[in-house]
Amino acid sequence: MNEVIKIFIPNETSANSVGANLLYQVISELINDENVEIIRNGSWGAFWLEPFIEIEKDGIRKGASYRNINLSHLNTIEEFFLDFEKRNPFDINEIDFIRKQNRIVFSRIGHEDPLNIEHYINTKGYQPLLTALELGPQKIINQIKASGLNGRGGAAFPTGIKMQTVFDQNSSVKYLACNADEGDGGTFSDRLIMESDPFALIEGMTIAAYAVGASKGYIYLRSEYPLAKDFLIRAIDIALDNNYLGNNIQNSDFNFDIELRIGAGSYVCGEETAMMESIEGRRGLVRSKPPLPAINGLFKQPTLINNVVTLATIPALLLSDQSDFSQIGSNKSIGTMPFQLSGNVKHGGLIETRFDISLNEIIEDFGSGTKSGEPIHAIQIGGPLGIYLSSSMLDTTLTIESLQELKGSVGHGGIIVFDNSVDMAEQAKFAMEFCVKESCGKCTPCRIGSVRGVEIIERLQKNKTSKDDATLLHDLCETLESTSLCAMGGMTPNPIHSIIEFFPNELIEK
Amino acid sequence: MSIDSSNIIKPFVEKKGGLMPALHALQHHLGFISKDNIAELAIAFNCSQAEVIDVITFYDDFRLVPIGKNIIKICQAEACQSQNCKQLLSDLTSYFSLEMGETSDDLNVTLKEVFCLGNCAVGPSVMINDTVIGEATTEKIISHLKNDATQKL
Repeated sequence: MNEVIKIFIPNETSANSVGANLLYQVISELINDENVEIIRNGSWGAFWLEPFIEIEKDGIRKGASYRNINLSHLNTIEEFFLDFEKRNPFDINEIDFIRKQNRIVFSRIGHEDPLNIEHYINTKGYQPLLTALELGPQKIINQIKASGLNGRGGAAFPTGIKMQTVFDQNSSVKYLACNADEGDGGTFSDRLIMESDPFALIEGMTIAAYAVGASKGYIYLRSEYPLAKDFLIRAIDIALDNNYLGNNIQNSDFNFDIELRIGAGSYVCGEETAMMESIEGRRGLVRSKPPLPAINGLFKQPTLINNVVTLATIPALLLSDQSDFSQIGSNKSIGTMPFQLSGNVKHGGLIETRFDISLNEIIEDFGSGTKSGEPIHAIQIGGPLGIYLSSSMLDTTLTIESLQELKGSVGHGGIIVFDNSVDMAEQAKFAMEFCVKESCGKCTPCRIGSVRGVEIIERLQKNKTSKDDATLLHDLCETLESTSLCAMGGMTPNPIHSIIEFFPNELIEK
Repeated sequence: MSIDSSNIIKPFVEKKGGLMPALHALQHHLGFISKDNIAELAIAFNCSQAEVIDVITFYDDFRLVPIGKNIIKICQAEACQSQNCKQLLSDLTSYFSLEMGETSDDLNVTLKEVFCLGNCAVGPSVMINDTVIGEATTEKIISHLKNDATQKL
């Protein structure tokens, strides 16, 4: 009896986008031996290697990149094995990109078929839920407060305090809403959890719902993520079949179910109040706060709203070795942060690490510099509402505090590298154009201010020395910041301020 | 029409906030939301037709007219900007002789811009219906349209 040879071919959006599905079709047609098995695993998040195919034989697992490689000329599986050996396969856990990370929340991605619930359970999955059901709500919340976890969606609000607020509401109906409307350009950490470890999200939601007293949860998923939708539908079904969702979960008296809602191409629906409007079946117009969603949220009931990564972090906090997470970092920047490195960089992907890492370490040690080989000119941090840093600021650490000092934010952890071909005045204009396209239109500064902003920047592109337009842009940004209803209008000036300050003479000449 | 729209709507009427999923389902089956659908939805969800139109027109994904069989969404967000997505967009508009948002006369192709497909590390990215294409080039997109039967998710 021969030992089974396992071939791992990821089934994940980025891997598929560069050919993983095609390779799967070709290789699966070669197999006529029951001792060879294909597993569609998740991605390790080292996207420059995708499609990264691995073979496990005699307990040893190694992989090789099949980017731009056509295998349709192969006739037998043995020919594939020979081809594989020629590519100098290696253990992905030994490359610096993976080895230097501190993967806690993303510890499972890449290893196995993400829908294999036995693998999930065998790697400490659902142990935190069982612990939670024993601890009871208040002790769970205490533990999350003590962990120092802040929301990973963008606003970095303390998760435990939000949970306490929902828990304290005296209401027979409460909701949990998972914000999976990951819309910031340059971000994909939520998608990677949903596609490559969906049970972590489902378990995190279940624990959070139990802690605050919600029996119904929604996942509001953006329509641009069809594969994540597919995985979530199947994972929810499997969790139901195994009594990890539904009634009397794991023989407790706790009932919880999850409904998946699909967005329809609106960025502003990632703003929590606009998201609630959308779930309720209306236009995604933001609501004014107060009332806070934790007190009066979805369908006017107390609602816990967190993004995907935040909820998927919760199980890790209830494991006995939770100190792994909480002992990393200081002040508000506690735990690990999944940075998402992309743009003009050789090695882009997901980097889960401490906050107090420098931009240089991220771009050089993990990213190996620009893809074009040209010098770095700008780095955008924190999405369309974040800031641009110049190449002289690479020693900046990525803590919440240090970015706040620069009037920026970590946001959802996106880091986009631009080489010296970038036109910063164009990037400033894009910030306003994006706001024109995505503003919900409810408040005037955002709706009209963004249009005026594009016009002023277009004039500045023709005459950088216009003092009048520089003053007008400054005043307009101030108006947006202080009078917009939500962060869309309120933070759109951030990238523009940073371009004026850190890229002198590129938008405005003084 | 062979598909009965009232049967499509029915499962969503009892759901809280069921209008959005109903619109998605209708559009999935029928391609777009017709005037008759709007009237039907208004009755089913006990609201005015204006409210239904209100929702449809807010969201980029919903449409009131037929659209191409292949919807090609070209990412124009920041990460793809660093990978020359503007050039790709202009190449595609000239190849198909269509402007952004337009549909070819034979209803085969619609071009749209999109802001982030979450495929940022292997940009520029394009989505054709439900398939994302990384390191996208005009050639890759044309070849995908020709062979799309072999490239299902």
